Amino acid sequence: MPLPRSALALALAIATTPALAADNVTVEDLARRLKALELRLGTAETPSTTETTNSVADLDQRLRVIERKLELQAEADAARTASTPVVTMGEKGLSVKSAPPGDFEMKFRGLVQADGRFWFDDSQVPQADTFLLRRVEPTIEGTWGSLIGYRLTAQLAGDAATINDAYVDLKFDPRATVRMGKTKTPVGLERLQSSASTEQVENGFPSELAPGRDIGVQLQGEFPTGGTSYVLGVYNGTPDGRDGLSTNPDNDFELVGRLFFEPWKNDANALSGLGFGIAGSTGDKEGLGNNYLPRYRTPGQVQFFGYRSDVVADGEHTRWSPQAYFYHGRFGLLGEYISSYQHLFSPSSGVEASLDNRAWQLSGGVVLTGEDNSYRGVTRPNHPFTTDGTGWGAFELVARYGRLDIDEDAFPLFADPAVAVAGAQSWSLGVNWYLTSNFKLVADYNQTSFDAAPNGLEREDEKVFLTRAQFSF
Amino acid sequence: MKSILSSLLLGMSMALAAGGAIAKDVELLNVSYDPTRELYQDVNQAFAAQWKQQTGENVKIRSSHGGSGKQARSVIDGLEADVVTLALAADIDAIADKGKLLPANWQSRLPNNSAPYTSTIVLLVRKGNPKGIKDWGDLAKPGVAVITPNPKTSGGARWNYLAAWVWASQQYHDAPKVLDYMGRLFHNVPVLDTGARGATTTFVERGIGDVLVAWENEALLTLAEPDNRGKFEIVVPSISIRAEPPVAWVDKNVERHGTRKQAEAYLRFLYSPEGQRLIAKHFFRPADPKSVPASELAIFPQVKQVTIDSAFGGWKKAQAQHFADGGYFDKIYQPDH
Repeated sequence: MPLPRSALALALAIATTPALAADNVTVEDLARRLKALELRLGTAETPSTTETTNSVADLDQRLRVIERKLELQAEADAARTASTPVVTMGEKGLSVKSAPPGDFEMKFRGLVQADGRFWFDDSQVPQADTFLLRRVEPTIEGTWGSLIGYRLTAQLAGDAATINDAYVDLKFDPRATVRMGKTKTPVGLERLQSSASTEQVENGFPSELAPGRDIGVQLQGEFPTGGTSYVLGVYNGTPDGRDGLSTNPDNDFELVGRLFFEPWKNDANALSGLGFGIAGSTGDKEGLGNNYLPRYRTPGQVQFFGYRSDVVADGEHTRWSPQAYFYHGRFGLLGEYISSYQHLFSPSSGVEASLDNRAWQLSGGVVLTGEDNSYRGVTRPNHPFTTDGTGWGAFELVARYGRLDIDEDAFPLFADPAVAVAGAQSWSLGVNWYLTSNFKLVADYNQTSFDAAPNGLEREDEKVFLTRAQFSF
Repeated sequence: MKSILSSLLLGMSMALAAGGAIAKDVELLNVSYDPTRELYQDVNQAFAAQWKQQTGENVKIRSSHGGSGKQARSVIDGLEADVVTLALAADIDAIADKGKLLPANWQSRLPNNSAPYTSTIVLLVRKGNPKGIKDWGDLAKPGVAVITPNPKTSGGARWNYLAAWVWASQQYHDAPKVLDYMGRLFHNVPVLDTGARGATTTFVERGIGDVLVAWENEALLTLAEPDNRGKFEIVVPSISIRAEPPVAWVDKNVERHGTRKQAEAYLRFLYSPEGQRLIAKHFFRPADPKSVPASELAIFPQVKQVTIDSAFGGWKKAQAQHFADGGYFDKIYQPDH
């Protein structure tokens, strides 16, 4: 009579054990070893073992019970795994994701930028060389079910903690998501780039005219064919180059739209990294002071233009900005133009005017070590830095030129030619050293020259060396 | 500016409304217990066809199966069942009590206490009945390996347990002796599966044990499988329990999904002549036997049955006394014994 399958397996397993020669194995040996196995696995004593006959049939049943219990244990483990949240910790931070389908996710990310600013030939407008924490941003973001996305980013680098981003997305469809809360106003191309990804330490002139973060609601989406994305939103409104206040100061809203195309985004050709589009904003602003009117800064973050203190924003404020980038292999180019048109009133002179300030820039970079360049920067060095010298990370050379022109009608009624200039142009060269995916060192030299207003101040060139150590995950 | 803002908001609203207006097929989720897989495959198909014919609407029914208690727990924890078709009323009571997902009187909304079919508990033994098992008493004898799932997770296991308890109560008329018998019976259980289908697998496919305490429909289904012909036989015990697996739509979920109409029709379909014939085809006893030809009922043996109400005072009481933490089952069964 043939032995049952599992008894055969047991016999074979034992027969191959070097401790016992096969021809010496007895049923009692097998029973003892099976008992030891049962005790080791913590399986319950079966009825057969209580009244054991140590027959082959009895051993077979006991072995089958062990096999089945292991099978059930494996099933239970699989079920437990399938219902256990997944925690991951890696280059992109900490992530906790609910069990499949994983609709609930919370990611913790962070950004720290420690900068140094060093000035040269600054006798006319002296600046203090300084170290500073430019950004300290912990971020919690993720999804809460298939409908809701969210992001909370605090800014801890200043003298007081503030909120950078705090928004909720209602994701009806990839083509239609409603975002509510505080977020980047979708106008400036460089402003929309992640702070951790910008090529240079500070943004160029167009970002001085583009709105900063603001509170509002926007409809946004992407169309998979044609690589088209859009944003249409309404916000409280911000002055040029600054974030909005926590409430709307003037009872007027700002309408913002952006249309961006990446027609070959999903193709493997030379134009797959081309993106271009246009953005704009319009709305009324009515008020006096920094909450309404701009103060333009150099890349060294030094103010070089502001309106006279009694000038009032008195109506339409419209911006428009054509923009594009192109990334191919190690090369990257980013260009944008922006016009900011604001209706003003000067109470001291009784004059009204609509002034149109403009800026543009072209920046580019080449990754010397061959990694791909992108709008998100160099995301991963091919050979991350190691202390034993086998890897040095990635190196990128960057350059930028840009101009900002103040409307010539601003002088002298709306801006004081003795303190404000009529325009500025800036060039910079820099190097980025991506030691790892999470750490980079940046060094830029920026030189800005200024155009004096008629009968106005001849301002010396600004020469500044900017450095940054950035840790992000 | 205000008019621009109004236009924008109107535009956004229209875009969202247009998105929401995209027609979708209706989908129902039926959360059921272990041995109903085959039954609901047929029911889902038949109902979908009938619904399409009656309303023109496509309805897709997904079914989820597992131990009844576990399934109820999943619904309470957020599994968005449109309907539940579980092994016992206590599990749906738990969804009503703990999950607040349907009203306490859910059982009165459909005929026959919301049980469109019944079954009972029988004993499945190996061909020739080598251990000579004839009734419940034989299951507690030394050397008999009994396969039954875990009453903590399986509705069928609770019916099994209660059927044995009914026999022991009538046999011994003494609570300690009944408990002793139940303890000896569960001492003979080498593997506690989480559900009835798993227990069948243990007994039939893995070849473990001498007797499977089983739903009648599960035992008949096993015999009907071509691979099992001549390998097993059913032993009808002297007494058993009338199992009434109930069904209900889950009000909070159907309201949220907008599927109340379809869910209710789906369950009422079970009471229709077509539904009752499908029920008999899959070895469940139809609640309305008159709607099924007698020839299709001949497969069901005569079994003396008691009801949960008459023997235990209803499910709530039985649940509390026997299966709640610290109940009789915890007293007679220790996993590490």
